[in-house]
Amino acid sequence: MKDRISIVVMVDAVGALSDRTLHNGNLSLVDDSSAGSRHQGTPDLVTVVVPGQVVQWTPIHVDVQTPVEIKAIEFLSGAAAQPPADQTVPAYPVEPSTVPAPAAVSGEGVDATGSNGHENYDLLVWEGVVPYDMTPGVPYRYRISLQLHEGPNSVLHIDSPALLRV
Amino acid sequence: MAQQHGIIVLFDVENALRTRSLDGNTYWFDNMKLLGSVGVGTEQLVTIVPGTHFLDGSQATEQVLNWLPAALGSIPPTVPRNYLAEQERADDRRTLEELAALGSAGSVSDADLKRLQRRVGKRARKSGSGRGLTEAKLLDVTGKTTTSPGAYNYPAPVITDITGQAVSEKIMYPAQYGSPDMIYDGWYWAATVDTSRPGVYPYTMHVQLHELVEQDDELVWQSVDLTCQSSLKIINDPKRNGFTGAGLGVLPLPSVPAAG
Repeated sequence: MKDRISIVVMVDAVGALSDRTLHNGNLSLVDDSSAGSRHQGTPDLVTVVVPGQVVQWTPIHVDVQTPVEIKAIEFLSGAAAQPPADQTVPAYPVEPSTVPAPAAVSGEGVDATGSNGHENYDLLVWEGVVPYDMTPGVPYRYRISLQLHEGPNSVLHIDSPALLRV
Repeated sequence: MAQQHGIIVLFDVENALRTRSLDGNTYWFDNMKLLGSVGVGTEQLVTIVPGTHFLDGSQATEQVLNWLPAALGSIPPTVPRNYLAEQERADDRRTLEELAALGSAGSVSDADLKRLQRRVGKRARKSGSGRGLTEAKLLDVTGKTTTSPGAYNYPAPVITDITGQAVSEKIMYPAQYGSPDMIYDGWYWAATVDTSRPGVYPYTMHVQLHELVEQDDELVWQSVDLTCQSSLKIINDPKRNGFTGAGLGVLPLPSVPAAG
């Protein structure tokens, strides 16, 4: 068993911002788990983990001068809440940044402000230990939110990847 | 993962040559306004370099700077680097074809010859000092040959060195690199930054411009070396865990995962 598993989040920031989605090939997840992860290279990656392992997420941008950082990783809970009633469904695949993850276990809210008062998500390290009380055989899906530059349309997320204990 | 810094330096070449100074003739632009660069688009750019360190004090993110020079009123730097040579050759070919056509037509008018003479253009030579541009025809901003001294296109400014406090105090390590990039002639200046000593550090950019002068009945590109200033603002903050806000902890998994 490996002590540590890396999940690399490769992002085409320009593609994602102009498509307003991390789908369409704008995001690719790959891990180095040796236990048989599924859907490598897609947004639907299921990473096979073992309790006690450290899982680390790292963003990589395909254009080196585009800013891509992980803003939040939230594991989605089965006790799902309803989406807000006033939420309208747009005709195109916009992923609004303001909608909270349904009944997510919070991973958000950690302060990412630098000493000059500017938000800088490069300051956050996304890693954690796989707990021993994780139920085997059930995928734990998570929402990963990416910050691409700044502004009202700068945060995009996907809900499809998961961790799976075998 | 931190992005690389791009710093565009736009030069008003004509004005700089006239006043023999870059004061008031440069415009600096970088891609770090979102993290706190100030004076973007002006001569007083202060480029933010947001360094990070791990809890043991070691540097966590490598910050890379890239400088990209550009000239106001020039052929855009985005055309391929053999553009000027190609234009020159295409122009010569057209002239030769028309000359051949004139010969076969029998009668050659003065006006036709004058027109072709203009088309052949003027050629500017290298200056005797050796440093400078290779011999080439004068082209205007649309890439056409010209004989008019007022219409020609200034060659792109060349960065020849980066010095000053930020370099002498070993805050940044600039160097010129070769690359297959066609836009900046295959050469560009880049630097890595030591972010362990926060503060504002000025630096001096040495730039070579080229001026067209008449010398012994010939047009010659003469190099003019000038300098301009900018600065880096280094800050440094500790990295922290995105889940806990502090050190490593257990992943915050729900008791019941979402179906799906």
